[in-house]
Amino acid sequence: MKIDFKVNGRDYSLEVREDMRLLDFLREELKLTGTKEGCGEGECGACTVIIDGKAVNSCLVLVPEIDGREVITVEGLERDGRLHPLQESFIEKGAVQCGFCTPGMLMSAKALLDGNADPSDEEIMEAIEGNLCRCTGYYKIVQAIRDAAGKLRNGKA
Amino acid sequence: MLSNVKEYFRPKTVEEAFEMMEADREHSIFLSGGTIVALMGSSRIERIIDLKSLRLDSVSIKEDEIVVGATTTVEAFRKDPLMRKEFGDFFYDSFSLVGSWQIRNMATIGGSIAPKLGWSDVSACLLATGAGLMVYGPDGYRRIMLSDYFALPAGEKPLITHIIIKKDGWVSAFEKFSKTTFDIATVNVAISVRPERGRIKAARVVCGSRPQYPMRFETIENALEELEINDVMPSIVRSLVFDNFTGGSNMLASFEYRKHLASVMAQKAAEKIKEMVR
Repeated sequence: MKIDFKVNGRDYSLEVREDMRLLDFLREELKLTGTKEGCGEGECGACTVIIDGKAVNSCLVLVPEIDGREVITVEGLERDGRLHPLQESFIEKGAVQCGFCTPGMLMSAKALLDGNADPSDEEIMEAIEGNLCRCTGYYKIVQAIRDAAGKLRNGKA
Repeated sequence: MLSNVKEYFRPKTVEEAFEMMEADREHSIFLSGGTIVALMGSSRIERIIDLKSLRLDSVSIKEDEIVVGATTTVEAFRKDPLMRKEFGDFFYDSFSLVGSWQIRNMATIGGSIAPKLGWSDVSACLLATGAGLMVYGPDGYRRIMLSDYFALPAGEKPLITHIIIKKDGWVSAFEKFSKTTFDIATVNVAISVRPERGRIKAARVVCGSRPQYPMRFETIENALEELEINDVMPSIVRSLVFDNFTGGSNMLASFEYRKHLASVMAQKAAEKIKEMVR
């Protein structure tokens, strides 16, 4: 079937398989391999992308569901070769170790900050509750998101 | 994973959606939030009927009732200003325990009820609020109680279009026990009471993940009538649930363990209610 959609600001009009997951479509058809597959069943959040402003698990979305909608993946964060403040803060605060959960963490954090410029630590923790990290722990990740929120508020983006 | 889907439909009306399902129920499935469909490992499913195109995703007020479109997401529902105004923190807090933020952004209220999942926190809470459903079937639209929906014969599968919740001044609380944060409930308990002059005038007591679908326990509800809402009340609720719990065993828990957990969860929920009423 043919669907029209937008990914990272670019318009697409493509024939897609009705039963293909968005995660596989992004990685295999659009070659956007920043989005990771962890558990494949909506538990770990490694595959988190933003659809129409909402953080979702792309392993639980079928491609036809994005018809007429806008998707943002981790590749859509940087602008003209410059990292997004969230990406900068994750590096600066040491919020990355193996890095496998990082794309999903970043997308959940972006969805949060897009709707809440000054989140509390509790709101940050709720936003990343569906993103599992097995090596960094969450303290530095929460710190990084708080730091990025400050940068965005102060117009350092 | 689905591997044999040949058609993907986006019906414009409820009637059209139901007709599409009736045309080949054996090989068709409704997709609402998608969290269940995407995980299905089936080569039987050849036709997906996406209900999001029906735009049943609003929360509105009609006289003394809240009318919730079936494809409203769990997250939109719990954060809806109208729901918060009319039901305080009950749905906001209870549904924060449903999956993760990502899951709640996808899963819908109707999609959480329709498969009659035993562990559904959404169904347990709605049962406790005495919710009704607007459904569409072979004879058109009709309104039924949520408890009656669960009791429908296996072959009768009307399409849920709206969830209807009365603004009736009841006080509700929910407790859930699961082995990890996102795990399905081993047991969940939702209790609503109508307080009057410091006593329970009427009650709804629901236990879910028994492991069968959530159900009300009328024996307990009747025993709670006229009970004073004091410090002793929660322990009485606990004893009543322990003595009257019905359910079974599965890989999550034995019947005995469930019965014990249900009584503890009921006591906690009753404690919350006591604090709210005071």
